[in-house]
Amino acid sequence: MSSTPGNEPLLEWPAKYNEVPKQVFEMDELWPKELETIFYGAEWHPIVHRAEIPNPGDYKAAELGEMPIFAVHGDDGAIRVFQNTCTHRGTSLVTESSGNKKEFECPYHRWLFSLEGDLVGCPNSRDFTPDFDKKNFSLFQLRTEEFCGLYFVTMSDKTPPLKEYLGESFYEPLSRVLGGDGRLKLAGYQKVMYDCNWKAYCDNDGYHAPLLHKAFALLNWQGGKGFQRISENGHLTFESELKIPDEITALKDGSILDFKGTTTSTGSIVQMQFPLTVYSKHMDMLNIRYAFPKGPKGIEVHYAYFTHEDDNDEMIRHRIRQSSNLLGPCGLISMEDASVFSRIDKGNKTPGNAIFQKGVQDEYALSFEVKQNDESGNLPRWEHYRKLMGFKRAAQ
Amino acid sequence: MSSSITLIENLNRDYICALDSLDMSAWLACFNLKGRYTFISEENERRGFPIAFMLDDCYERLQDRVTQVVEIQSDSTEHYQTRHFTQLVSVSETDNGLINAVFNYSIYYTQRDNNLTKILCVGQYFDTIKLDGDNASYIERKAVTDTNVLPRYTAYPV
Repeated sequence: MSSTPGNEPLLEWPAKYNEVPKQVFEMDELWPKELETIFYGAEWHPIVHRAEIPNPGDYKAAELGEMPIFAVHGDDGAIRVFQNTCTHRGTSLVTESSGNKKEFECPYHRWLFSLEGDLVGCPNSRDFTPDFDKKNFSLFQLRTEEFCGLYFVTMSDKTPPLKEYLGESFYEPLSRVLGGDGRLKLAGYQKVMYDCNWKAYCDNDGYHAPLLHKAFALLNWQGGKGFQRISENGHLTFESELKIPDEITALKDGSILDFKGTTTSTGSIVQMQFPLTVYSKHMDMLNIRYAFPKGPKGIEVHYAYFTHEDDNDEMIRHRIRQSSNLLGPCGLISMEDASVFSRIDKGNKTPGNAIFQKGVQDEYALSFEVKQNDESGNLPRWEHYRKLMGFKRAAQ
Repeated sequence: MSSSITLIENLNRDYICALDSLDMSAWLACFNLKGRYTFISEENERRGFPIAFMLDDCYERLQDRVTQVVEIQSDSTEHYQTRHFTQLVSVSETDNGLINAVFNYSIYYTQRDNNLTKILCVGQYFDTIKLDGDNASYIERKAVTDTNVLPRYTAYPV
């Protein structure tokens, strides 16, 4: 249980399952516990897709909680994820967000590591401790699993195997977001900082409130049939048809809304993986949103966009035009999402609870039966969070 | 060349004044019918990745950018006041009579809710300009931002 030194719980959770205390977004003192139980706990976190580091020596830096890490494509073709720290005195090895290196040299005492993480050189080692052995000083490697070219890490040896952790109802649509077979090419990033607690981001970026989007109405854009699937450990999948009208009068160039749909007839897949990663395939945009909390306040989101290896030039151009104009921090259909994060965060400084309504049948029970646009799909994630954090639910 | 520079500077002045007063019609008027506008991170540009924050690659897209700002997203945006500061650092003439120009830019923004001023982004404009008598217009303005992580969602072109 998360508690103060006097062993009093930091927070008591409301009795009703559809209520979330607003304090949970605002209490900075929760962050160390969140790091311990969630980011360094038994959860899988996506770090890199093979398409982002396709060649030997390619690397990408990232963060897991507050811990700097980096993924590297080895000479043997394997992708490994290491803590970004020299095993000697702890200096960070990688300072750029990405690049290509033949080896990783620490500038402090010139310790040299191979792409596979082995210590291959350390000057003056004859003066080291008598039992010094380079084999004991390889880079710290994180437990890693791969799905459709996407590499996940976990700090815990208790985390279930990745596919079991995600569940089939999550990883099957995820495979379609990842192009069906994971044979993707990186098209680039949009990176942005949002001024909110990480939970305010994940509570609202995956779940999509259609009423928020004036663009949907102006474009006469309707969601079509669809469903929402949720899991006990907080993962969420929305899948729906997209009915784009034949003629879009609000825009002069309606081609950016074309749905060429080569891999699936489904127009829209949005997935939120606990704790905070969103994957989406809207029309022809293939998108992973890597999210990095900057402590209890502020979250940096990297929207990574992909094309597929089999795309022809026309499809590549289409995906790039669509991705650059519809999603991300400036996007036609997503900027409203971005704008609402900080407004929610400001509003959460008031007392009381945030109350979920749409789709809630019984306030005192958790339901996994949700319709397409029900906001109650967020509730299993909150319950998972509550349990991990050890917050006691108040009596009825 | 000095008269060309005056036209280039005037066009840039019209452009930044249009954005700082959020006059999107005046912004559109800076482009000719072959005009293109791109707002892209330095990281993507350097690494050869085409994804942009905004990619208006034809005049119709420029018109739609105006519609997006003025009509579609006007009620969901927390307005912020921008101030653009620019400096011409390079100008040259191409073989086909067009002008290539580069401006450094820094853009501050002030939010109305807290009235604090911060930097929105810093970078360079890479321009291709058509001069026609006393008129100058953009065939292309590419805003490359060194600020690879934007500090907030960005509703308006830069």
